Amino acid sequence: MTSVSNKGWRIAAVGSVAAVALVLAGCASGGGTGNNSGSGKSIVVGTTDKVTFLDPAGSFDNGSLTVQTQVFATLMNSKPGTADVQPDLASKAEFSDPNTYTVTLKPGLKFANGHALTASDVKFSFDRQLKINDPNGPSYLLSDLDNTTIDGDTTINFHLKAANDQVFPQVLSTSAGAIVDEQVFAADKVTPDADIVKAHAFDGQYDIDSYDFNNLITFKANKNYQGLLGAAKTSNVTQKYYTDASNLKLDIQQGNIDVAYRSLSATDLKSLRSDKKVKVVDGPGGEMRYIVFNFNTMPYGATQPDADAAKALAVRQAAADLVDRSEIADQVYKNTYTPLYSFVPNGLTGATTVLKDLYGDGKGGPDKTKAAKVLSDAGVTTPVTFNLQYNTDHYGESSTDEYALVKSQLEASGLFKVNLQSTEYTQYSPDRTKDVYPEYQLGWFPDYSDADDYLTPFYGADSFLVNHYSNAAVIAEIQKQATETDPAKRKAEIEDIQKLVGKDLPILPLLQGSQVAVTGTDISGTTLDGAFKFRFGTLVKG
Amino acid sequence: MTTVAPSPAAPGGAAPAASKPRGRGGSTLWRYLVIRFLLIFPTVFILVTMVFVLMRITGDPITIALGGKLPPDQLAERIHHAGFDRPILVQYFEYLGNIFTGNFGTSITDGQPITQILLTHGGATLELAFYALIVAFIVGIPLGQVAAYYRDRWPDAVLRIFAILAYATPVFFAGLLLKLVFAVWLDVLPVAGRASTRTEIQFSTMPHRTGIYLIDAISTGDPEVIGDVLSHAVLPGLALGLLTAGIFLRLVRTNVIGTLSRDYVDAARSRGVREIRLVRKHALKPALIPIITVIGLQIAVLLGGAVLTETTFEWKGLGFELAYYLSKRDFVAVQGIVALLAVIVALTNFIVDIIAALIDPRVRY
Repeated sequence: MTSVSNKGWRIAAVGSVAAVALVLAGCASGGGTGNNSGSGKSIVVGTTDKVTFLDPAGSFDNGSLTVQTQVFATLMNSKPGTADVQPDLASKAEFSDPNTYTVTLKPGLKFANGHALTASDVKFSFDRQLKINDPNGPSYLLSDLDNTTIDGDTTINFHLKAANDQVFPQVLSTSAGAIVDEQVFAADKVTPDADIVKAHAFDGQYDIDSYDFNNLITFKANKNYQGLLGAAKTSNVTQKYYTDASNLKLDIQQGNIDVAYRSLSATDLKSLRSDKKVKVVDGPGGEMRYIVFNFNTMPYGATQPDADAAKALAVRQAAADLVDRSEIADQVYKNTYTPLYSFVPNGLTGATTVLKDLYGDGKGGPDKTKAAKVLSDAGVTTPVTFNLQYNTDHYGESSTDEYALVKSQLEASGLFKVNLQSTEYTQYSPDRTKDVYPEYQLGWFPDYSDADDYLTPFYGADSFLVNHYSNAAVIAEIQKQATETDPAKRKAEIEDIQKLVGKDLPILPLLQGSQVAVTGTDISGTTLDGAFKFRFGTLVKG
Repeated sequence: MTTVAPSPAAPGGAAPAASKPRGRGGSTLWRYLVIRFLLIFPTVFILVTMVFVLMRITGDPITIALGGKLPPDQLAERIHHAGFDRPILVQYFEYLGNIFTGNFGTSITDGQPITQILLTHGGATLELAFYALIVAFIVGIPLGQVAAYYRDRWPDAVLRIFAILAYATPVFFAGLLLKLVFAVWLDVLPVAGRASTRTEIQFSTMPHRTGIYLIDAISTGDPEVIGDVLSHAVLPGLALGLLTAGIFLRLVRTNVIGTLSRDYVDAARSRGVREIRLVRKHALKPALIPIITVIGLQIAVLLGGAVLTETTFEWKGLGFELAYYLSKRDFVAVQGIVALLAVIVALTNFIVDIIAALIDPRVRY
């Protein structure tokens, strides 16, 4: 080797590295990372959500709902900024008798493809929802709908099983009530995305121009839309799909996209709030995070050897006295969640602060003395052992920190000894309904923007919680509010229900999620409201 | 799909001592190739079966989606309706029957035809593997020669450490580091994705897109689009390619050193051939033969690494889709993707076996 010039080899070595560098640099030179969000005033929205099915009968997940919100219209809807529903495609909607909800369509409605939108399409849409009854679809929201009849081209009669169902107009505003084109959609099965897109079978504010499944969707304004929301303010919007939230964050920071909606991490949001290149827009969220008490297997539960309902209640109440929701919201979620002191979250009619009033220091903070007294008065031996279960693959990685903090808060009082355990969701989900977990974490995403969605499924006769809690007075009140036609009376009934449930504490609400969107500084019109619908039609660039 | 990695040999495969007599004729080669080909089927079958069993025992997609919302009886009804409560053997044989008839089915969670998923995303993964191999060749082979030339001196030590780091660093970590440096700090390369939004929109309206963006970009004839696509390929290609580059580097170094001590190299050296020419030409060719056999094995590593690389860089290929459908417990999609990956690995190894057998007679057949 010594016979060869070292210089030559150094050149070769450096040359190799330089060649790679040149290739890379050459590659980079063509594309760059400049703002590629399209020409003119088109807007690019990034998300980590995923679409499952475009067909409203086949999906009920956030990713699909966001797209459906843009392209499918409903008979009833809420104006941006409110959660109260009013006619959208309908010109009039009212109870013609206690069991019949009659809707009259606006005249001359058309789909984006030019097909006439008539009462026949409406009947078809509801009939197929019920017939398909897809496991992942929203058809269960139509459980009160017996059948649909039409009268001419514009009048639809919804025949309901329960009289004066006050929730039904809300249900009409969900994707279960999306109106689809009967000339395109199948009557008895979910229609493939490609068929829907190809036929431009859309009646919402937007039509879909191109559709690259879970990669890129380009929307263009639907000129045939005549509903409540009016014409979209931006003609062209592109939805770009991400998997890694950190990539979404970097792209909104670098201006490669205009809006990031769902779901940035709490840490990323905190950092973005101090970034002057972007705006963070907050809105009320419907998500609820809470602890469920199993009335059979919790300490002093009905099937325990030392069963004692009064002591079990005291244990639940003491736990409610000790949790510090603000601390969890701040430390774990950087205030992307807010403390929840009622069973109906803030932003909805009927929301209260019942848990703040009944438990803790009365201001939302913990009260160890009060907790000790409750347990002492009931004759509970301390420390009480809590076997608290949580889950990370369904309710987020931060659940670990959230429940570590709950454990710390309960144990700091010396009144509880908490054993924490995490289980994978596929095991967790069946286990919780088989009384395996005495106390456990759950989360709730609303189906529609009404207090009823936070009451009937939880404390009604057919509760999905299956935690052996049943209060006849609560069930009766729930049924009453669902058919109460006077809004003021209904609000009062919803508040009463929460007072009753607050005393029993079958669940302990902890946090309420908030909606967050991050936008470029040149984007306006971002509206996040109690309807929990993100509408592209209000966005404006520049 | 085993391959034999021969020791370095003289150019043209003139090994000093083969273990068995040579010249066994074309029929023996054909027999070898047929056996290798037939081995593809049990390999894929075993893999598909293992994936089927593992997916079935870890839960179902309906529980994942609705477990927190529905009462147990309604949940059970929906699971029953979908047929997930049938005996596993019944489901297994039904699945095998469908596969043998070429019916991969549709994904449970989003109703996508599996063949469509494979066609749409397979190109992306192959494209990434192609970029990674280019990086591995460009980085691994020259640096291996340099390390061999500077054997046991500081450049060699540095390159050996680099090689170890390259193949020992988890690919997602390497990806994050590259992103941090080139996309965030220096801001000279894109953060993620296969192309900019503008290019993606352009591709989405192309009538005959291949899914391999480089080809699609070339077909537009627009240099800016080609540059855009290539710029997006740099970081994922590097992250995945460095993994293999480290292996190539060490392999080339070892084989070049071995070859440099051969008699024919000494003879060339004594005739005054410059050392740089010896290393670059005389010693390199035989040293590359083991690389060919290693490529077969590395394809499996690259495809495995692609799952993490694609997720890190939003590179929407099969690895990306596999990670997504795994999280949803979508049996059908996962099985389809794994089956295709298994076929790719098996076929690649088969092709490598053929090439190895043809260029190096010492490979036993």
